[in-house]
Amino acid sequence: MSAVELENVTKTFGAHTAVDDLSLKVPPGCVYGFIGPNGSGKTTTLRMIMNIFYPDRGTVRVFGEPVHGACTDRIGYLPEERGLYKKMKVRDVLRFYGRLKSGRAVNGEVDAWLARMELSAWADKKVETLSKGMSQKVQFIATVVSRPEMVILDEPFSGLDPVNTEVLRDAVLDLQRGGTTVIFSTHDMATAERMCDFIFMIFKGRKVLDGTLSDIQDRYGSDTVRVRIDDDVAKLTGLPGVERINDHGRMQELRMRDGADPQQVLQELVQRGATVRHFELTRPSLHDIFVRIAGPEAQEATRA
Amino acid sequence: MHKILDVAVREYNAAVRTKAFIISIVLMPILMGGGVIAHKLLRNQVDITTKQIAVVDRSGIMADVLVRSAAVYNESEINDPETGKQIKPKIEIEVVKPAEGDAADQQRIELSDRVRGNKLEAWVEIGANIVHPGDDDGAGAMVAYHSKGAVMDEQRKWIAIQVNNQVQGLRMADAQISPVTIQKLIAPVPVEGLGLVSIDTATGEIEAAKKTNETATVLVPLAMMMLMFMMISMGATPLLNSVLEEKMQRIAEVLLGSLTPFQLMMGKLLGTIGVALTVAVIYFVGGAITIERMHATEYIPLGILPWFFAYLTASIFMFGAMFVAIGSACNDLKEAQSLMMPVWLVVCAPLFVWLQVVKQPTSDFSTAMSLFPPCTPMLMVLRQTTPTGVPAWQPWAGLAGVLICTLIAVWIAGRIFRVGLLMQGKPPKLGELFRWALAK
Repeated sequence: MSAVELENVTKTFGAHTAVDDLSLKVPPGCVYGFIGPNGSGKTTTLRMIMNIFYPDRGTVRVFGEPVHGACTDRIGYLPEERGLYKKMKVRDVLRFYGRLKSGRAVNGEVDAWLARMELSAWADKKVETLSKGMSQKVQFIATVVSRPEMVILDEPFSGLDPVNTEVLRDAVLDLQRGGTTVIFSTHDMATAERMCDFIFMIFKGRKVLDGTLSDIQDRYGSDTVRVRIDDDVAKLTGLPGVERINDHGRMQELRMRDGADPQQVLQELVQRGATVRHFELTRPSLHDIFVRIAGPEAQEATRA
Repeated sequence: MHKILDVAVREYNAAVRTKAFIISIVLMPILMGGGVIAHKLLRNQVDITTKQIAVVDRSGIMADVLVRSAAVYNESEINDPETGKQIKPKIEIEVVKPAEGDAADQQRIELSDRVRGNKLEAWVEIGANIVHPGDDDGAGAMVAYHSKGAVMDEQRKWIAIQVNNQVQGLRMADAQISPVTIQKLIAPVPVEGLGLVSIDTATGEIEAAKKTNETATVLVPLAMMMLMFMMISMGATPLLNSVLEEKMQRIAEVLLGSLTPFQLMMGKLLGTIGVALTVAVIYFVGGAITIERMHATEYIPLGILPWFFAYLTASIFMFGAMFVAIGSACNDLKEAQSLMMPVWLVVCAPLFVWLQVVKQPTSDFSTAMSLFPPCTPMLMVLRQTTPTGVPAWQPWAGLAGVLICTLIAVWIAGRIFRVGLLMQGKPPKLGELFRWALAK
């Protein structure tokens, strides 16, 4: 039984189709990453799983049941825009959200989570006194404090500093280790690559990628050369068989044309007198795949 | 059900545990009864500077009378008899010899200029024929009182009384009729306002009818109606603000991950009813203690209280649902206020017609208005509290109408709330609200 199953789901807002004939299966106990450009339909899909939006067509099943009201009690939801009562105290707001979801007092869990997130000193302060990062951690606690079987996190790491990102990432992975299914959307491809068992990409309301990272990369083959040289990046321009250069600063990714030989690239670089520190034939990164699907080139190709 | 109660408890605490709530509990009755209180507080705050009045007496008989009357008045009426403190202004009469012909107009200008220059309070020109005007219906038969604010002047009334007393006395003397005889002839017959004679069910004895008075007939019903209006007003603003806060702070989306829009709305309405009932109980207890100390307990309408609370609960559900729907459809208070206007007009409608209803509580108009569901809670309670009362079926019929209207309002509001709560951008027009309500 899938934790979540969407079958031919379509959702429109007026003339705009936000989600178009989407089918998806999220296995239980996994970390499932939703990626896609802004406005592609990620949040709408998550809201339909939460039964906040109702699909115009198709069915949404959560833990094998069609979604209707009560089954969302088994899901913790962290929306993209954080929502906390500013005038309430941190501890009170968490108790309220926890009780609302679970139907029982969650005082012990609230205090334990506050301690874990290093927010105990702020427990009796009003929400309006918290920094953005603190508010985000409080919102995360509100999502998980009722011990849901599944958590849906819409952009959980946006706006967090690296230390807090690590704290939250560890917490998410701990939940998964405890058997919780985790669905989260992100724009950070590196995070998705590192954390997700499965990756799903939605673009203009339609599913364009779905599978493990390895499966997805296999579909694109080993057409990428990762290279680091001590010289100016300009030395990489005009190399034979190179279709595109992605400059990541200290490292560059060269996308090869079909049938192009990477050895020729290496020879050409040596001939140009470049000091090559790293040369690796690899599969494309998730970032690269994302750009290939949703970047300007793809947009132009779609328009053409 | 626990979710609705959890939301209700949070709403209740958020509204009650604030300084604003405590301040509004104190301020609301002051604002509502502000006119009465201000009148009581300010009634002794009168101008007691001496009023100088010039008198041009063309009759030749009034100037001396006014001078004497002013002396008596200044001696006996301007001071409080208990404290001796001056509470009314002193009046000084300056007798001016009347000028004739063109000089008369000049004299009028000069006197008016003295009033403009604050040297005089007023000047009075007494016609030559005021005692026996005959065919004279012009200036000769009247007294002209000139001042900056002649209509509202207390001194004008004083002059009128003195002149008329003197003129009537002179006319009676001429007709050789005694003032005592006249008084006997025109003595009024009192018409006492009484309730109905009834039989004491315990003893079987006939009970004499009680005197009706202004307090029982008007003030108690008005107080009950205003109390209900206060409860609705006090509930409306926090309810609207909390919906707007939840929408704008994106709290709604978090909440909708845990409960349905209908549960959220019902929780908010229940919380608001809790707040209103708390305030009502505070005011009733406070009012009862005050009335008990004034030894006027017969004015406490105990029999009406169950109806009052039933109507209050239903009306907060009914109007609260409308406020919630409006709040969910708007993005800020300014937008909400323009959409609130039609609802407020309905809420306030009983205030426009209450006097007519209280004067004739059983008229067709009063009955129809009090059976119109949005007006029922306030007007039915108003009618029930009057000594006349209402037929027994009417409160039940009114309550049934209110409950049906409340169910419809809650159903429509729930559907608007469901769509509006997550909707951003420009506020909807009324037509769009109806479309939301009828959407699948």
